[in-house]
This record gives sequence, structure tokens and C-alpha cells, in this order.
Amino acid sequence: MSSSTLDSTFAALADPTRREILVRLASGEASVKELAEPFQMSLPGVSKHLKVLERAGLISRGRVAQSRPCRLEARPLKEAADWVEHYRRFWEEGLDRLEDYLQEIQREGEGGGGR
Amino acid sequence: MAAGDDPRPGELVVTRDFDAPRELVFRAWTEPERVRRWWGPEGFTMPYCDIDLRPGGTFLRCMRAPGGLDFWVTGVFREIVAPELLVFTDSFADKEGNVVPPTRYGAGSGMPLERLVTVTFEELAGSTRVTVRHAGLPSGEDRDLVRHGWAGGLESLSGYLSGAS
Repeated sequence: MSSSTLDSTFAALADPTRREILVRLASGEASVKELAEPFQMSLPGVSKHLKVLERAGLISRGRVAQSRPCRLEARPLKEAADWVEHYRRFWEEGLDRLEDYLQEIQREGEGGGGR
Repeated sequence: MAAGDDPRPGELVVTRDFDAPRELVFRAWTEPERVRRWWGPEGFTMPYCDIDLRPGGTFLRCMRAPGGLDFWVTGVFREIVAPELLVFTDSFADKEGNVVPPTRYGAGSGMPLERLVTVTFEELAGSTRVTVRHAGLPSGEDRDLVRHGWAGGLESLSGYLSGAS
């Protein structure tokens, strides 16, 4: 995924209504009408949000007749979450090394400036 | 107050207590010769480290992986309160310090171009608690939206994601 795609993922997630729509879709496909119900929102209003989500690759829409059911696409979300795991390892290992380093210099009495 | 208040869900937070005075721990994060001794995963070395420690100042580091591959990283200090707080951006770079996309280094394709790192240093009885918060910052105009929104988005979907490998 390019970083511009990633930006659109983040922008899509930035809106609470769109997050709610995604949560709803996590439990299964739904039509525009079904998605509009919980949010006192017009169908065109919901359609606008769906377009943003579709452009970000977060949902796909069926080609069946009028209803064009919406479906959640998990991959972009997973990719957005994966980097967090990458950095968790990065920091855990770095802080292990910092612990060793601090012990070492304090043993050497090189506390320099410390109290 | 800086970004160091309540942890936001979806944001990476790592906390560690060190048996060392806060002053010293802060210096280990901000003086190049000290940073080079520990920064990065096990087995990495740091052949280059330049730090201009002032608000708006930049840093440039080269981390060398055990296999010899170099990763250049740069960023800008947003906030510095010695010895309590450091806030800086974090991006992959070339060796001239220009920001490059993480994919250039083969990093996870889902990684934001720019990350925001907030580090707090708290004095406990005889030790220092370091908390690192790491959040994604997309580029350009989406940035402000995202600072409020993206973490919550990932949180609500975490249950779904964990079942969707």
C-alpha cells in the first residue's frame, strides 16, 4: 500500500460516522438503507461516506441490482495496524539496551550529571 | 500539556522503569554519544548520529542492521522540556536527511510517512519511568483529522482485526 493510500485510510477513519459504519459491516454485509437507519441521516449523506470508504479501499460494494450491498475489506486496516506492532518490538528491544547501558555507566561511576 | 496525557487507544505506548536518575536517562536520549550506545533493536549499531536539540531542530541518525544494511532516520523536535519531556517526529530518510517513504527500506507498507513520538520521563522513588508514545501522522491536510480520529478507528475494529488475519 502506498503512503497516499494510507493517508486515505486514515482520513476515512477520522470520521466517527464512518467508523460506526465499518463496525456495523464487521458483522456482515449491509445495504445503504440498512446502514442509514442507525444514524438519522439521508441516503445521499450515507452514500457520501460510503464513497470515501470505498475510495480508501476499506469497503467494497456488490454489483447486484439496486441494493449494492457493502462489505468490509480488512486488509488496509490490518496494514495500518501492523506498523504499530513493528514499533512495539523496536522500542522494547531499544529500552532493553538502554537499561544495560545505564547500568553499565553507573557501575563505572560515570553517572555524569546524575544525582 | 503535551500529548503526554491519557493514552489513546490504538496508539503504541511502551513504559519502562530504569534504576537511574532522571537527568541521566534524559541525557541518554538526547546526547549523540549516549544515543549511539543503545538506540534501536538488538544487534544494531549507529555509525552516524546528529542531534540539534532545540524546538524546531532536527536529528539525523543512521542505524546499521546486523546484516550491514543502513537505515537513515530523521525528524524534528516539536517540544523539549529537560529532563521531563521530548516530542519529535520520526521518518525514514536518505543520508542527506530528506524524508523518504518507509517502503524504500522495505518497511511495512502500512507505515505512515511520518510518526509522532512523545517521550515522558517521570521521577519515581529512586528510579525513572520512561513512557514512549508512538502515533502515526499522515502527510498534509489529513494530519489534524487523524490526530483525533485514527486511534479510535482502530480501537473499535480491533476485535474484528484480530479475527481477520
